[in-house]
Amino acid sequence: MSRYLILVLLNLPLIITAIVGAFVSYKLNNTSKRRLIIKTIFWVVILLCLVFAQNIYTYLYNEGLTQTEPLSLFDVLQITGIIYIFYVVNRLFVKVDVLEKRVQDLHQELSIILSEKDKS
Amino acid sequence: MKKKNVAFIIPAYNEESSISKVIVDINRHAKGKYSYEVVVVDDGSKDNTAVVASKAGVKVIKHILNSGSGSATATGLSYAEQQNFDIAVTMDADGQHHAHDAIRGINLIQKNQADLLIGSRLIDSQGMSRVKILGNKGLSYITYILFGINVTDSQSGLRIFSKNALDNLKWKTSGYEFCSEMLWRAKQQHLDIQEYPIKAIYTEYSISKGQNNWNAYNILKLLLKQRVVEFFSE
Repeated sequence: MSRYLILVLLNLPLIITAIVGAFVSYKLNNTSKRRLIIKTIFWVVILLCLVFAQNIYTYLYNEGLTQTEPLSLFDVLQITGIIYIFYVVNRLFVKVDVLEKRVQDLHQELSIILSEKDKS
Repeated sequence: MKKKNVAFIIPAYNEESSISKVIVDINRHAKGKYSYEVVVVDDGSKDNTAVVASKAGVKVIKHILNSGSGSATATGLSYAEQQNFDIAVTMDADGQHHAHDAIRGINLIQKNQADLLIGSRLIDSQGMSRVKILGNKGLSYITYILFGINVTDSQSGLRIFSKNALDNLKWKTSGYEFCSEMLWRAKQQHLDIQEYPIKAIYTEYSISKGQNNWNAYNILKLLLKQRVVEFFSE
Protein backbone atom coordinates (compact mmCIF):
# COMPACT_ATOMS: atom_id res chain seq x y z
CA MET A 1 0.00 0.00 0.00
CA SER A 2 1.28 3.44 -0.89
CA ARG A 3 2.66 5.43 2.03
CA TYR A 4 0.70 8.48 0.85
CA LEU A 5 -2.50 6.42 1.06
CA ILE A 6 -1.59 5.30 4.59
CA LEU A 7 -1.06 8.95 5.53
CA VAL A 8 -4.57 9.86 4.31
CA LEU A 9 -6.21 6.78 5.86
CA LEU A 10 -4.63 7.41 9.26
CA ASN A 11 -5.65 11.05 9.37
CA LEU A 12 -9.03 10.89 7.70
CA PRO A 13 -10.97 9.70 10.80
CA LEU A 14 -9.49 12.52 12.85
CA ILE A 15 -10.38 15.16 10.29
CA ILE A 16 -13.88 13.75 9.85
CA THR A 17 -14.33 13.77 13.66
CA ALA A 18 -13.25 17.42 13.80
CA ILE A 19 -15.58 18.48 10.98
CA VAL A 20 -18.55 16.48 12.31
CA GLY A 21 -17.88 17.90 15.81
CA ALA A 22 -17.98 21.45 14.42
CA PHE A 23 -21.18 20.69 12.51
CA VAL A 24 -22.90 19.16 15.57
CA SER A 25 -21.90 22.21 17.65
CA TYR A 26 -23.47 24.44 15.04
CA LYS A 27 -26.66 22.36 14.95
CA LEU A 28 -26.87 22.52 18.75
CA ASN A 29 -26.48 26.31 18.57
CA ASN A 30 -23.18 26.23 20.44
CA THR A 31 -21.28 27.91 17.65
CA SER A 32 -21.97 30.43 14.90
CA LYS A 33 -22.23 29.68 11.19
CA ARG A 34 -19.15 31.81 10.56
CA ARG A 35 -17.06 29.73 12.97
CA LEU A 36 -18.38 26.50 11.45
CA ILE A 37 -17.27 27.67 8.01
CA ILE A 38 -13.82 28.73 9.27
CA LYS A 39 -13.27 25.43 11.07
CA THR A 40 -14.48 23.37 8.12
CA ILE A 41 -12.19 25.26 5.73
CA PHE A 42 -9.29 24.78 8.15
CA TRP A 43 -9.70 20.99 8.33
CA VAL A 44 -10.49 20.61 4.62
CA VAL A 45 -7.26 22.45 3.78
CA ILE A 46 -5.33 19.97 5.97
CA LEU A 47 -7.13 17.07 4.27
CA LEU A 48 -6.33 18.44 0.80
CA CYS A 49 -2.68 18.86 1.75
CA LEU A 50 -2.60 15.20 2.83
CA VAL A 51 -4.47 13.94 -0.26
CA PHE A 52 -2.19 15.87 -2.61
CA ALA A 53 0.96 15.41 -0.52
CA GLN A 54 2.71 13.53 -3.32
CA ASN A 55 1.87 16.16 -5.94
CA ILE A 56 2.93 18.95 -3.58
CA TYR A 57 6.22 17.13 -2.87
CA THR A 58 6.90 16.50 -6.59
CA TYR A 59 6.18 20.14 -7.43
CA LEU A 60 8.42 21.46 -4.64
CA TYR A 61 11.21 19.02 -5.57
CA ASN A 62 11.09 19.88 -9.28
CA GLU A 63 11.15 23.61 -8.51
CA GLY A 64 14.18 23.11 -6.28
CA LEU A 65 12.27 24.27 -3.19
CA THR A 66 13.00 21.09 -1.21
CA GLN A 67 15.84 18.59 -1.18
CA THR A 68 14.25 16.09 1.24
CA GLU A 69 13.76 12.39 0.60
CA PRO A 70 10.30 11.17 -0.43
CA LEU A 71 7.82 10.27 2.31
CA SER A 72 8.96 7.47 4.64
CA LEU A 73 6.78 5.44 6.99
CA PHE A 74 8.34 7.32 9.88
CA ASP A 75 7.26 10.61 8.25
CA VAL A 76 3.71 9.26 7.99
CA LEU A 77 3.65 8.49 11.71
CA GLN A 78 5.22 11.81 12.57
CA ILE A 79 2.70 13.82 10.54
CA THR A 80 -0.20 11.82 11.98
CA GLY A 81 1.14 12.36 15.49
CA ILE A 82 1.48 16.11 14.95
CA ILE A 83 -2.08 16.42 13.62
CA TYR A 84 -3.43 14.30 16.49
CA ILE A 85 -1.57 16.32 19.12
CA PHE A 86 -2.77 19.53 17.48
CA TYR A 87 -6.37 18.30 17.68
CA VAL A 88 -6.09 17.11 21.31
CA VAL A 89 -4.24 20.20 22.55
CA ASN A 90 -6.87 22.48 21.09
CA ARG A 91 -9.69 20.45 22.64
CA LEU A 92 -7.96 20.64 26.02
CA PHE A 93 -7.27 24.33 25.63
CA VAL A 94 -10.96 24.96 24.99
CA LYS A 95 -12.05 22.75 27.89
CA VAL A 96 -9.70 24.50 30.31
CA ASP A 97 -11.04 27.83 29.09
CA VAL A 98 -14.65 26.75 29.71
CA LEU A 99 -13.75 25.44 33.18
CA GLU A 100 -11.90 28.65 34.01
CA LYS A 101 -14.97 30.67 33.05
CA ARG A 102 -17.24 28.45 35.16
CA VAL A 103 -15.02 28.77 38.22
CA GLN A 104 -14.91 32.53 37.70
CA ASP A 105 -18.72 32.72 37.47
CA LEU A 106 -19.06 30.57 40.58
CA HIS A 107 -16.65 32.78 42.49
CA GLN A 108 -18.53 35.92 41.49
CA GLU A 109 -21.93 34.47 42.36
CA LEU A 110 -20.65 33.18 45.68
CA SER A 111 -19.16 36.57 46.57
CA ILE A 112 -22.47 38.31 45.89
CA ILE A 113 -24.48 35.76 47.89
CA LEU A 114 -22.06 35.93 50.82
CA SER A 115 -22.18 39.73 50.83
CA GLU A 116 -25.99 39.54 51.05
CA LYS A 117 -25.69 37.13 53.98
CA ASP A 118 -23.22 39.43 55.73
CA LYS A 119 -25.71 42.26 55.40
CA SER A 120 -28.58 40.29 56.91
CA MET B 1 -39.64 61.97 35.53
CA LYS B 2 -38.51 58.96 37.57
CA LYS B 3 -34.92 59.17 38.76
CA LYS B 4 -32.64 56.61 37.19
CA ASN B 5 -31.19 53.89 39.40
CA VAL B 6 -27.43 54.10 39.13
CA ALA B 7 -24.82 51.70 40.50
CA PHE B 8 -21.30 53.02 41.02
CA ILE B 9 -19.02 50.00 40.87
CA ILE B 10 -15.52 50.35 42.32
CA PRO B 11 -13.27 47.30 41.92
CA ALA B 12 -10.59 47.61 44.58
CA TYR B 13 -7.43 45.79 45.58
CA ASN B 14 -5.39 47.11 48.52
CA GLU B 15 -6.88 50.59 48.31
CA GLU B 16 -7.56 51.39 51.97
CA SER B 17 -5.82 54.76 51.71
CA SER B 18 -7.84 56.06 48.78
CA ILE B 19 -11.20 54.28 48.76
CA SER B 20 -12.98 56.54 51.26
CA LYS B 21 -12.03 59.66 49.27
CA VAL B 22 -13.53 58.12 46.13
CA ILE B 23 -16.76 57.25 47.97
CA VAL B 24 -17.04 60.74 49.50
CA ASP B 25 -16.50 62.29 46.05
CA ILE B 26 -19.26 60.15 44.53
CA ASN B 27 -21.69 60.92 47.37
CA ARG B 28 -21.00 64.64 47.03
CA HIS B 29 -21.74 64.70 43.32
CA ALA B 30 -24.54 62.12 43.00
CA LYS B 31 -26.68 62.95 46.03
CA GLY B 32 -30.08 64.25 44.98
CA LYS B 33 -29.45 63.68 41.28
CA TYR B 34 -30.02 59.94 41.16
CA SER B 35 -31.22 57.05 43.18
CA TYR B 36 -27.84 55.36 43.50
CA GLU B 37 -25.78 52.75 45.29
CA VAL B 38 -22.02 52.63 45.60
CA VAL B 39 -20.68 49.08 45.36
CA VAL B 40 -17.09 48.35 46.30
CA VAL B 41 -15.85 44.98 45.05
CA ASP B 42 -12.91 44.06 47.26
CA ASP B 43 -10.80 41.71 45.18
CA GLY B 44 -9.26 39.78 48.08
CA SER B 45 -7.30 42.74 49.45
CA LYS B 46 -4.66 42.10 52.09
CA ASP B 47 -5.28 45.45 53.76
CA ASN B 48 -8.45 46.96 55.27
CA THR B 49 -10.10 48.11 52.03
CA ALA B 50 -13.35 46.27 52.81
CA VAL B 51 -13.50 47.57 56.40
CA VAL B 52 -12.86 51.18 55.32
CA ALA B 53 -15.51 50.91 52.58
CA SER B 54 -18.01 49.35 54.99
CA LYS B 55 -17.46 52.19 57.44
CA ALA B 56 -18.21 54.64 54.64
CA GLY B 57 -21.66 53.02 54.47
CA VAL B 58 -21.49 51.48 51.00
CA LYS B 59 -22.24 47.99 49.76
CA VAL B 60 -19.14 45.79 49.89
CA ILE B 61 -18.78 42.56 47.95
CA LYS B 62 -15.72 40.62 49.00
CA HIS B 63 -13.99 38.25 46.63
CA ILE B 64 -12.81 35.16 48.42
CA LEU B 65 -9.75 34.99 46.18
CA ASN B 66 -7.83 37.72 44.41
CA SER B 67 -8.87 37.17 40.82
CA GLY B 68 -8.09 40.34 38.93
CA SER B 69 -9.59 43.65 37.95
CA GLY B 70 -11.70 42.14 35.14
CA SER B 71 -13.26 39.61 37.46
CA ALA B 72 -13.98 42.23 40.15
CA THR B 73 -15.63 44.49 37.58
CA ALA B 74 -17.71 41.58 36.28
CA THR B 75 -18.86 40.78 39.85
CA GLY B 76 -19.94 44.39 40.37
CA LEU B 77 -21.79 44.54 37.07
CA SER B 78 -23.41 41.17 37.73
CA TYR B 79 -24.70 42.55 41.04
CA ALA B 80 -26.01 45.68 39.27
CA GLU B 81 -27.78 43.47 36.73
CA GLN B 82 -29.35 41.30 39.45
CA GLN B 83 -30.51 44.40 41.35
CA ASN B 84 -32.06 45.79 38.18
CA PHE B 85 -30.11 49.04 37.98
CA ASP B 86 -30.76 51.23 34.92
CA ILE B 87 -27.18 52.43 34.58
CA ALA B 88 -23.87 51.27 36.01
CA VAL B 89 -20.63 53.21 36.26
CA THR B 90 -17.23 51.65 36.87
CA MET B 91 -14.51 53.80 38.41
CA ASP B 92 -10.96 53.16 39.60
CA ALA B 93 -10.42 52.94 43.34
CA ASP B 94 -7.11 54.82 43.28
CA GLY B 95 -8.88 58.15 42.91
CA GLN B 96 -7.78 58.93 39.37
CA HIS B 97 -11.33 59.66 38.22
CA HIS B 98 -13.43 62.71 39.09
CA ALA B 99 -16.97 61.84 40.21
CA HIS B 100 -18.26 64.81 38.20
CA ASP B 101 -16.87 63.17 35.06
CA ALA B 102 -18.89 60.08 35.95
CA ILE B 103 -22.03 62.21 36.41
CA ARG B 104 -21.36 63.87 33.05
CA GLY B 105 -21.09 60.39 31.52
CA ILE B 106 -24.41 59.28 33.04
CA ASN B 107 -26.14 62.31 31.51
CA LEU B 108 -24.40 61.76 28.19
CA ILE B 109 -25.26 58.07 27.87
CA GLN B 110 -28.93 58.90 28.33
CA LYS B 111 -28.78 61.83 25.92
CA ASN B 112 -26.84 59.93 23.22
CA GLN B 113 -28.70 56.63 23.72
CA ALA B 114 -25.35 54.82 23.81
CA ASP B 115 -24.87 51.38 25.36
CA LEU B 116 -21.29 51.69 26.49
CA LEU B 117 -19.65 55.04 27.12
CA ILE B 118 -15.91 55.20 27.72
CA GLY B 119 -14.31 58.08 29.58
CA SER B 120 -11.26 58.73 27.43
CA ARG B 121 -8.18 60.21 29.10
CA LEU B 122 -6.49 60.59 25.74
CA ILE B 123 -8.84 62.90 23.86
CA ASP B 124 -7.24 65.61 25.99
CA SER B 125 -4.18 63.98 27.51
CA GLN B 126 -2.84 67.06 29.30
CA GLY B 127 -1.22 66.09 32.58
CA MET B 128 -0.57 62.51 31.54
CA SER B 129 3.05 61.45 31.29
CA ARG B 130 4.48 60.58 27.86
CA VAL B 131 5.16 57.03 28.97
CA LYS B 132 1.51 56.58 30.00
CA ILE B 133 0.29 58.12 26.75
CA LEU B 134 2.52 55.76 24.77
CA GLY B 135 1.36 52.70 26.73
CA ASN B 136 -2.32 53.52 26.49
CA LYS B 137 -2.15 54.47 22.82
CA GLY B 138 -0.25 51.26 22.13
CA LEU B 139 -2.93 49.16 23.79
CA SER B 140 -5.68 51.02 21.96
CA TYR B 141 -3.85 50.28 18.73
CA ILE B 142 -3.55 46.58 19.67
CA THR B 143 -7.29 46.55 20.39
CA TYR B 144 -7.88 48.01 16.95
CA ILE B 145 -5.62 45.46 15.22
CA LEU B 146 -7.09 42.47 17.05
CA PHE B 147 -10.75 43.41 17.20
CA GLY B 148 -11.25 46.26 14.74
CA ILE B 149 -12.50 48.64 17.40
CA ASN B 150 -11.29 52.19 17.07
CA VAL B 151 -11.27 53.98 20.42
CA THR B 152 -8.75 56.45 21.78
CA ASP B 153 -8.51 54.93 25.28
CA SER B 154 -9.27 51.23 25.38
CA GLN B 155 -7.90 50.84 28.93
CA SER B 156 -9.93 53.49 30.71
CA GLY B 157 -11.54 52.33 33.95
CA LEU B 158 -14.29 54.94 33.84
CA ARG B 159 -17.07 53.34 31.85
CA ILE B 160 -20.82 53.86 31.81
CA PHE B 161 -23.15 50.96 30.97
CA SER B 162 -26.74 51.20 29.81
CA LYS B 163 -29.35 48.66 30.93
CA ASN B 164 -28.92 46.90 27.59
CA ALA B 165 -25.17 46.60 28.11
CA LEU B 166 -25.66 45.42 31.70
CA ASP B 167 -27.92 42.63 30.54
CA ASN B 168 -25.89 41.50 27.54
CA LEU B 169 -22.23 42.28 28.07
CA LYS B 170 -20.14 39.39 29.40
CA TRP B 171 -16.44 38.66 29.03
CA LYS B 172 -14.06 35.85 29.89
CA THR B 173 -10.72 37.32 30.91
CA SER B 174 -10.10 38.33 34.50
CA GLY B 175 -7.06 40.62 34.42
CA TYR B 176 -6.49 44.06 32.89
CA GLU B 177 -6.97 42.60 29.41
CA PHE B 178 -10.71 42.61 30.10
CA CYS B 179 -10.79 46.31 29.07
CA SER B 180 -10.08 45.37 25.46
CA GLU B 181 -12.07 42.15 25.54
CA MET B 182 -15.12 44.01 26.85
CA LEU B 183 -15.03 46.25 23.77
CA TRP B 184 -14.77 43.18 21.55
CA ARG B 185 -17.79 41.56 23.23
CA ALA B 186 -19.71 44.82 22.96
CA LYS B 187 -18.98 44.87 19.25
CA GLN B 188 -20.11 41.24 18.90
CA GLN B 189 -23.35 42.15 20.69
CA HIS B 190 -23.81 45.14 18.33
CA LEU B 191 -23.78 47.56 21.26
CA ASP B 192 -23.29 51.24 20.57
CA ILE B 193 -19.82 52.20 21.93
CA GLN B 194 -19.05 55.88 22.38
CA GLU B 195 -16.37 57.97 24.07
CA TYR B 196 -16.21 61.28 25.86
CA PRO B 197 -13.23 63.22 27.20
CA ILE B 198 -12.38 63.03 30.90
CA LYS B 199 -9.57 64.37 33.04
CA ALA B 200 -7.53 61.89 35.02
CA ILE B 201 -6.05 62.90 38.36
CA TYR B 202 -2.46 61.72 38.62
CA THR B 203 -1.12 61.72 42.13
CA GLU B 204 1.98 59.92 43.26
CA TYR B 205 -0.32 57.26 44.67
CA SER B 206 -2.39 56.70 41.50
CA ILE B 207 0.79 56.58 39.40
CA SER B 208 2.26 53.92 41.69
CA LYS B 209 -0.98 51.90 41.51
CA GLY B 210 -1.47 52.24 37.76
CA GLN B 211 -0.51 49.71 35.12
CA ASN B 212 3.10 49.34 34.16
CA ASN B 213 3.72 49.75 30.42
CA TRP B 214 5.41 46.35 30.35
CA ASN B 215 2.08 44.85 31.30
CA ALA B 216 1.03 45.59 27.71
CA TYR B 217 2.99 42.50 26.71
CA ASN B 218 0.93 40.31 29.07
CA ILE B 219 -2.28 41.92 27.89
CA LEU B 220 -1.36 41.28 24.26
CA LYS B 221 -0.46 37.66 25.04
CA LEU B 222 -3.74 37.00 26.85
CA LEU B 223 -5.82 38.70 24.18
CA LEU B 224 -4.14 36.62 21.49
CA LYS B 225 -4.76 33.47 23.55
CA GLN B 226 -8.42 34.46 23.85
CA ARG B 227 -8.58 34.95 20.10
CA VAL B 228 -7.08 31.49 19.43
CA VAL B 229 -9.27 29.72 22.00
CA GLU B 230 -12.33 31.42 20.55
CA PHE B 231 -11.37 30.17 17.10
CA PHE B 232 -11.39 26.55 18.22
CA SER B 233 -14.11 26.73 20.84
CA GLU B 234 -17.46 25.13 20.31
